[in-house]
Amino acid sequence: MTTVIKWVFWVTFWVLVAAFFHYTLPQRDMVRVVDTFEQRVDFGENSIFWASPDVGSDATAINRDVLFIQAVRDNDRVMVYRNEDTGWSWPPYFKFDTKNLQTEAADLKSTKADPQWAVITHYGWRNEFLSIFPNAISIRPVVGPDAGKGIPWLNIVVLLVFFAIIYAIWVRWRRFKAARITPTLDAMEDGIAEQREGFSRWLGTWRSKK
Amino acid sequence: MIPFVYFTVIGFGVLSVVYISLSLYSRAVRREKLEAKWEAGPKLINRDAFVKRGLEKYDSSIRRKLILGVYIGPVVVIALIIYLTNFS
Repeated sequence: MTTVIKWVFWVTFWVLVAAFFHYTLPQRDMVRVVDTFEQRVDFGENSIFWASPDVGSDATAINRDVLFIQAVRDNDRVMVYRNEDTGWSWPPYFKFDTKNLQTEAADLKSTKADPQWAVITHYGWRNEFLSIFPNAISIRPVVGPDAGKGIPWLNIVVLLVFFAIIYAIWVRWRRFKAARITPTLDAMEDGIAEQREGFSRWLGTWRSKK
Repeated sequence: MIPFVYFTVIGFGVLSVVYISLSLYSRAVRREKLEAKWEAGPKLINRDAFVKRGLEKYDSSIRRKLILGVYIGPVVVIALIIYLTNFS
């Protein structure tokens, strides 16, 4: 039973960690920008999946206009990106140039007949059931869909550092457990066993002697 | 403006905790090293005087000032991210 609980706990933990990194780390899409638009959004239960208003403007308003970039990916599936400042809050992209990015995206608009391909860097997820959109970070034009999206160095470095830290903690924890906790538990078990003996001997003194 | 203030104040607080812990740890390590050195050496002067002199030397050393990198590193990284995200 404890093994099952252990497994459920650790699988849940690692799935959450993986989801966290998948949401937060940048990813690149090969796209063709179709159009851009702006829409007022009333944030509801999906509010955690939206970033902050433009830096410097009122952050207490309950709704605001959000910029969107509509695109078609190289696999012919559509994707809609939101385009918001992340400002000084999480995730730490420190993005302040939302309106500039929207202009760059609008500048790259093209038709199916005469496509202009671009690589969009973004983080976040598109989910139709929650109405959430990945946040575009930057866009750069490329010659064609075969141009390649580049090696994700940042992701490699971040994940390597993360797993190095996890490994360091794990090794130390195992050493600590072997040196301190296991011997203490064993001693406690021995102690309890001894006490039991003592207790039953004491009980024995109350029994009638034959 | 408020988010920026939050960010800097909290960031400064976190880095200060790291800085202070690291300073204390580094000084403790230096102290242990000095004590070990005294034990191994000819013991010409009093142990406490030897350790005290060594620590004073350490306090004015460049090594100790390198711990200030705890503050400088993140600021440089954040400046770099801001440049890469917004201006390139």
